[in-house]
Order: sequence, then C-alpha cells, then structure tokens
Amino acid sequence: MQRTIEARGIPTIGITLQKEITKQVKPPRALYLRYPFGHPLGEAFQVKQQRTILLETLKGLETIKDPGTILEPGYVWRRHRFD
Amino acid sequence: MAVNGRRTSVISSGDAEMKSTRWVSKFTNSVLVQVFKHFPWLAERWARSHQFIEGKGIPWTPLGKPLRECRIAMVTTAGVHLKSQPPFNMEDPDGDATFRAFPADVDKTDLTITHKYYDHSAADSDINVVLPIDRLQELRDEGVIGNITSTLYSFMGHIDGPHLKTLMEETAPEVAELLVRDGAEAVFLTPT
Repeated sequence: MQRTIEARGIPTIGITLQKEITKQVKPPRALYLRYPFGHPLGEAFQVKQQRTILLETLKGLETIKDPGTILEPGYVWRRHRFD
Repeated sequence: MAVNGRRTSVISSGDAEMKSTRWVSKFTNSVLVQVFKHFPWLAERWARSHQFIEGKGIPWTPLGKPLRECRIAMVTTAGVHLKSQPPFNMEDPDGDATFRAFPADVDKTDLTITHKYYDHSAADSDINVVLPIDRLQELRDEGVIGNITSTLYSFMGHIDGPHLKTLMEETAPEVAELLVRDGAEAVFLTPT
C-alpha cells in the first residue's frame, strides 16, 4: 500500500508495530513502536501521547533522507511520559 | 460518498474439504489474534517465520516542500468505515481487499470498525488511537502542517491469499490515484 502510493509520486510515512514485517516489506519511511496491536498512536484519550507520535512520524517526511529508514523513538508502552 | 463497491470473489464451493480448510483457517486466525493480544512478543516471532510480499528496491519520492505547507492525507488499515457503509468481509479467512472512503471532517460518532484480527476496544472508544483525526486537525490549526485532504481511505489490514493480488493490482493503485486527485502532498499511514 505505502510503496504503491510512494511509487505513484506522493511521499509517504507509516507507523509500524511489527519491525520484522516492515524490514521485509521495505516501505520508504516508517516509525516503529513496540506497542500492542491496535494502538499505533498509543492509548485512548492520551492527547499528548497521540500528538507526539503523530508529529514525530510526520517529521520523518522531512528528516529521513535514506529510503527504507525506520525511526525508533523507543517510547516504552505505558511507561514513557509524554508531558 | 465514494464507496468502493467492488468485492473480491468469495469462495462459495460446496466442496467439504474446502469448507473444512476454510474453517481451520478462520479458527487459526482467531486463535492467533488472541495469542498475539496477550503475548505481543510472539507476533515478532510469527512474523519472522511468515513470508510477506518482499519489497524489491524501495520507491522514493522526496517531500517537495516543508511540512507546514503540505496537504496531508491519511490512510489506515484499521478497518474503519462509516456505519452507513458496508462492513468489511469478516467471513473470508483471506480477508477483504476493498476500501472505504469518507470525509476527513467526519463526525466521529458516524464511524465504526469492522476488523476481528486485532483488539480495537481502545480505538472503539477513541478513534484517534488508530486514525488520529483530531490530532491532525490540531496540527493543521497550529500551522504545523498546511492542510488535510478532504477524504480519508481505510482498508482492513488482514489481506491474504488471492486478495493480495487484488490489493496490489487493483485497490491500492486505485487509492493512489484518488490521493493524487485529492491533491495529497504527503500521506500518513497507520497499521494495526
């Protein structure tokens, strides 16, 4: 999906919760979180957490220069403080 | 409302062996969902042993201008759709390669999730967990991004068997074309 859109001429970035699959599929840009399935932006109603994850991911559109880069902010599930 | 009416073929063979295989496949899928829910680290192991469509080379389109000037689109594979739209097909163990389109300024109470291959209880209570509609609007209002495209696109991420071909050759390129038409200058994707 992501590769198809990128190949059509639009830059893309996606969150991934499965690094091994991402390494195989090779999307152009990704941000990996070791979060449970179904929680790419974190927890319900955690606005700061969701915002930080979204913003970090979007920034990757500007900062990633090497195709296939996977960003790893390392936010630990339910431990990292997003204040 | 643009709804993709195309439906991938669903096996309707009366063959007993086929039915049995499908039942086992459905059972296996539901067991995997429960196992991965409680033991997430097993999912990584499973992924290592499972073959996915391996990417050859990496397509690349550089961002043409700063983020603050870009019109951003969102695509999710979380199985989100309008309550008024047909749900994704949960009966086919190979999943469903179709997609749903809905307005980016949608009333969130009009949305629902059809996807039994992940635990979406958190996303049911707050859609921003899988599709950060509110967060993206806030970033637009603050000028961090330029704008948001008018339409969001949603797939159901469990796609396997013959439906992979449909996704790769039909529905994914179709969404890519729609994104070009929508004037998307960058796309943010969320998985489950």
